Amino acid sequence: MPRNRTVRVAVLGSSVQRAATPGYTSNRSGAVKRRIVVAGLVLLSFVLITLSFRSSALDGVQGTAAGALRPFEIGADRVARPFRDAAGWVHGLADAKSQNAALRKQNEQLRQQLAQTQSAMKENAYLKQALDYHAAPTPADFGTVNAEVLANPQNPLEQTLTIAAGSNDGIAAGDVVRTPAGLVGVVDRASPSVARVRLLTDGDSNVNATDAAHPESVGIVSSGNGNSTLVLDNVQKSSYVGVGDVVMTAGTLGADALPSMFPRGIPIGVVTSETDNDIDPYHSIQLRPYVDFSSVQSVIVLVPHKGR
Amino acid sequence: MDGLKAALLLFVASILQVAVLTQYAAFRGASIVLVALLSIALLRGSVFGAIAGFGTGLLLDTATLGTLGVTSLLLTIAGFWIGRYGETTARDRFHAPFLSVAVVTVLFAFGQVLLQFMLGEPAPAGLVADGLPLALLLNLVLTLPIYALARRLFPPRQLEDRIGEVRLLG
Repeated sequence: MPRNRTVRVAVLGSSVQRAATPGYTSNRSGAVKRRIVVAGLVLLSFVLITLSFRSSALDGVQGTAAGALRPFEIGADRVARPFRDAAGWVHGLADAKSQNAALRKQNEQLRQQLAQTQSAMKENAYLKQALDYHAAPTPADFGTVNAEVLANPQNPLEQTLTIAAGSNDGIAAGDVVRTPAGLVGVVDRASPSVARVRLLTDGDSNVNATDAAHPESVGIVSSGNGNSTLVLDNVQKSSYVGVGDVVMTAGTLGADALPSMFPRGIPIGVVTSETDNDIDPYHSIQLRPYVDFSSVQSVIVLVPHKGR
Repeated sequence: MDGLKAALLLFVASILQVAVLTQYAAFRGASIVLVALLSIALLRGSVFGAIAGFGTGLLLDTATLGTLGVTSLLLTIAGFWIGRYGETTARDRFHAPFLSVAVVTVLFAFGQVLLQFMLGEPAPAGLVADGLPLALLLNLVLTLPIYALARRLFPPRQLEDRIGEVRLLG
């Protein structure tokens, strides 16, 4: 060894080739294996998306699996319910006093309205019978299935609910879903024991609707910005819609070849604003829905009485 | 054994997410599943994270009767990526779970928007962006207890167990 050689040179400058560490090949194969696994899973995801989105080949399997998960979801809901009720009780206590006074006043008004409405209903029934008048279907013409909500929307993009009833209960895609407060949406998919409901706030939902006070004002209710607003569109400027008016489903109008899937008379919401501009041929109307879409606990599915 | 524990933890998290958390409008932005998955991926690596993400996504899509594969795809990528981060730079760093959850929460939300858009479904990015700050805050709050639980269930591997993960040169 030359005398001027340092330790550094001895270590770094050595021309002696060390044997490759055995771990190197195993790590390289580990990296390859890792890439194969993730690429396979990503590919499988794309295959599932394609199959699920473009065909109904996986619907049966998915429905059965969703049915198998139902007891777990119901169990978790039962466990959480006392806590939810307690939170609701505390929340309700805070504004109970102010609500009480307002509700007493409203109750008085409603009592007077009820007397008038009952009288009008009797008269209406008598006149319909006398004239042999055939009206559009109303919710009373349907059977009902009451169902618990298993899952509310997971995120702002998925405006759907999962309910604990399905085709075994007579529910099918296209059935109308409501709560006592108002319209919720339409059954989108039905498996034997669970069903998915597309909410009115979904971008693809459209409902033929009318102003209860001015039945000649007919338009289309669709989603607005967020789940606390709906839009009533396509109402001609010649028709009148006032702020505070109740908007309800219009049902089938006239002898239409394609009848509306929504029976007439289900409340949707109340008009909160109505504006016009020179460019738009229609009114610009916003509604506040009666249903709080952010926390629906149970729903009523309207099921046709006879064969579909 | 780790696989069984992870499956159980993610199953419970998924059921809680679907059946309980979504009932409260204020907590809907939080994703207990995402936080649990990222915690497991950080502690057990990329392959484990990817497989766990795929399975969890499939479970969520099944429970909500959604389009199969959408959540799987996003969670597979999230699990793999954070698993890789755990294997390489993040080991034993206190901020790693918080950073992972924060970054993935944002990317996951916009990933969903992108996929919805590509599938031709309504994809209102504004709505997602509006809810993002709250979702981020809730997920970060959830990170501390869930990561602590995951760390108990999946204790960090000893040096000799993980030495194979380091690529030796020479």
